[in-house]
Amino acid sequence: MSTVAVEVVYRGIFQKTLARNIVRTIVFAARKEGKIGTAFGRYGDSPERNGIPAKQFAIVSDSPEELEENLAVYEAREVDVTINVDDTMCKGIESWAWYGLQPINALTKPGGTLIVTSRQTADALIEDIHQKDSAYNLAIVPASTSFSGLWVYKDDHTDVRILGALARVCPELVRLDSMLAALEDQGWGGLKLTSARNTHDRLATRPVEPGEGSEDEPFSFDLPGWKSMEEGLVIKGVEGGTGFRGGSLGEGYDPIKSNASGDTSYEPTRNAVFKKFSTRSMRPVINFDTCIKCTLCWLQCPDTCFDVTPDGLYDANMEACCGCAVCEAVCPVADCITMVNESEFNDNNSQWEHWTKDKDSYHKWMSELIQVQKEKDATRSHGYHSPGTYEAESEAEVALTGDDD
Amino acid sequence: MTTMTQAPPQTVQDLPQVRGVKQIPVFEGFTSGHRTCQGCESALVMRLMIKAAGPRTIVVGSTGCMYVANTTYYSTPWVVPWMHTQLGSSGSAATGTAAGLASLMRKGKMQEEPINVIAFCGDGGGVDMGLSAISAALQHDEYNLLILCYDNESYANTDIQVSGSSPWGANSTFSPPGKVHRIMNHRWKKNTAPMLAAGHPDVRYIATACGSYGPDFTNKIRRALTIGGPTFIHSIDPCPKGWDYDPKYSHELGMLAVETGIWVQYEIVDGELILNGPSRAIARGIRPRKPVTEYLQRQGRFAHLTEEDLKFFQEKIDESWEKWWIPGIVPFGPQEEG
Repeated sequence: MSTVAVEVVYRGIFQKTLARNIVRTIVFAARKEGKIGTAFGRYGDSPERNGIPAKQFAIVSDSPEELEENLAVYEAREVDVTINVDDTMCKGIESWAWYGLQPINALTKPGGTLIVTSRQTADALIEDIHQKDSAYNLAIVPASTSFSGLWVYKDDHTDVRILGALARVCPELVRLDSMLAALEDQGWGGLKLTSARNTHDRLATRPVEPGEGSEDEPFSFDLPGWKSMEEGLVIKGVEGGTGFRGGSLGEGYDPIKSNASGDTSYEPTRNAVFKKFSTRSMRPVINFDTCIKCTLCWLQCPDTCFDVTPDGLYDANMEACCGCAVCEAVCPVADCITMVNESEFNDNNSQWEHWTKDKDSYHKWMSELIQVQKEKDATRSHGYHSPGTYEAESEAEVALTGDDD
Repeated sequence: MTTMTQAPPQTVQDLPQVRGVKQIPVFEGFTSGHRTCQGCESALVMRLMIKAAGPRTIVVGSTGCMYVANTTYYSTPWVVPWMHTQLGSSGSAATGTAAGLASLMRKGKMQEEPINVIAFCGDGGGVDMGLSAISAALQHDEYNLLILCYDNESYANTDIQVSGSSPWGANSTFSPPGKVHRIMNHRWKKNTAPMLAAGHPDVRYIATACGSYGPDFTNKIRRALTIGGPTFIHSIDPCPKGWDYDPKYSHELGMLAVETGIWVQYEIVDGELILNGPSRAIARGIRPRKPVTEYLQRQGRFAHLTEEDLKFFQEKIDESWEKWWIPGIVPFGPQEEG
C-alpha cells in the first residue's frame, strides 16, 4: 500500500499546457504498472492569470480507495516530488488564492526531491530557496524557462526531460521504461524519447541539509474566519494615498487637480494582504539620471507600482511590481528602463533610495545588471512576439540542451 | 420623459479637462494588490477611470476579470466604495445606485453632494448579456451615471470563450482552429457604441476609448461624468492572456488597434460625432491607416491566419472606412437616388 504525490509549480497561463502534459503523462505511465492515479489543478488557481504561480498535481496509488483518500483535500499536505518549471519561483510563490508567500519546497517531504528547470547552479538556487528543518534533494534539469501560452504547446522537450528526471529521482512512482512507453503512446517518439532518457541518465542530484537555504521569513497574513467577517461581507477599502514615504500631501492637495507636473509627491496605499511580486520573472531597473520625467512608466503601469518621489521621479515599488515590462516598452529614453531577470536580485529594496544615497554605487550596480542581462538573455521568451516565435525558441532550446545526441 | 416622482436637480462635480499627461492627477483609487495578469490593460483602465473620476465616486462592477481578479477572499485594491453586481446587470445596478443616492439625499438622510456613479462591465457582461440593462439605464435620463464597458474581446476571466465582441477568426477556447476548419469564429465584432448611440438619441455622451491614450481617456471619463444623464464609454483593452502576446506590448497593441483603423476613437456629444486622435487624422486623410497585419501578426490568437485570411480582414476594414455611410462607425446609409 503506497501513494506517491507529485506537484508541478508553474506560471499561470504561460506554462499551463506544460504542467498539464507532465501530470497527465505521470498518470498514464503509472497505469502501465497497474497503479491508479489522477491529475488535477488546484481549484483556487482557476481562473489562472498570466504569470501568477499555480499548481497541478499527480497522485498515484495502489488502490482506488487509497487514491480517493488523498484526493479529498484542497492541496496535498506533502508531496514526494515538487517540480518547479521556472527557477525564479525558487524565491517562493504567492498564489492568488493563498495569502502569503509559500516556500517552493513547503510541501516537499523529508527526503523528497525538488526538481527545478534552470541554468543556474545548485548553490545559486539554494540561496533563494527557503530553508527547511528536514533534508531533501535538489535536482536540476538544465533548461531555459519554457513560456508559451494558453493554447500553445511549445515543443522544446521540457516536458519529457522533466518526466525522465522524475523516473530517476522517484522510481517508486514509475520506472523509466513505463515512462518512455507512456511518452510513446502520446506520439512522442524519436528525439523526444532520447531527450527523456538522456536527462534521466545524466541527472545530478544534490542533497540539501536541514537549515540550508534562505533565512528569509516568508510573509503571511491572518485571515478572518467566517465568524469574524463583517456583516454583508463588507470589506474595508484601502486607505487613500499619502505623500512620499507616508509624508503629508500638503495643504494644497486636491485629488482632482494635483498632478505630476506640480511638486506633489505621492505614494499610493497598497492592498495589505496581497503583494503580487512572486508573479515576476523580470524586474525593471531604472536609470534615474537619464529619466526625462515624461510620466509614461507611472501612467501606464497597470499595477500602480510607481511612487512619485519629491524630486519628480518615479520609484517602482518592488513588492507590487509583477514584471509585465509595460514600463520598459513605453519609456521613450533608450536603456532608461531595462528588465532584468529576477534571479539576479536578493531583496525588494527601493532603487530610488539606493540612487539618492550613493549615485556611484547605484550606477555600478545598475550597469552590471544590465550587462549580465544582455549577455545571458539576448532573446526574451515571455510569450508570443511574431509568427514563428514559439517554433524558433523551441528549436534553439533543443539545440542548447544537447540531449538529442 | 415624465415621471411621477421628480428626482432632485442633480449637480455634477468640477472635473476639468486635462491637457497632456502631466495634468493627470496623482490620486490613486485603484491600487496595487489585484490578481490580474501581467500587463493587464483592463486593470489600467480601472486605474485611469478612477484617477479621472476622483475619490467621491461609487463603482459598481459586474462579473468578469475586473470583479474576480480584484476581490478574492477578504481583500480589495479599491480605495473608493465598490460593489459587485451580476453579469448582465451593470445597467440596472448603475440606475439603482444613482436612484438610491438621489432618494437618500431627497429625504435628507445623506448630505447633498454630487457623487459619481460608474458601473463597469466586460464585453461578456456588456456587449452580450447586459445589453438590455444598459439600454434601460440609458433611457433613465433623470440620473447621472456612466457605464464603462472594458472590452478585451472574449470571456477572458473564464479562460477565453468567444463573445459578441471577439474579432473574426480569433483563436479561443470556443473557436480553436483545426485541420479541417481553420476559421472557427465567423462573426464580425459587434458594433456596440454606434448601436447604443443610434438607439438612444437623448443620451448626451457616448464614446469609444483606449487606455493607451491616457489624457484622451481621462477627458472622456470626465466629460461623461459631468455632462449630465446616463452615459456610455466602450474601451478596447488588449489582453495578454486572451490575445497571446508578451505582456509588455499591451500599450503598443492598443495604439495599433487604432492606427490600423480596426478600432475607431470617437465621442458622440449631444448628437455630434467627434473623431479623436489618430482616428481623426485617418478620416481626414492626414495619415494613412497602417496595414492590419501589423496588429494581427503580433498576436498568437491570429497566428493561424493565412495570407488569404489577412487579406479578407484588411478588405473588411477598408470597406468600413471607404464604403460605410459614416466611415468606421455607421455601416448603413440612405438609398441611392435614381
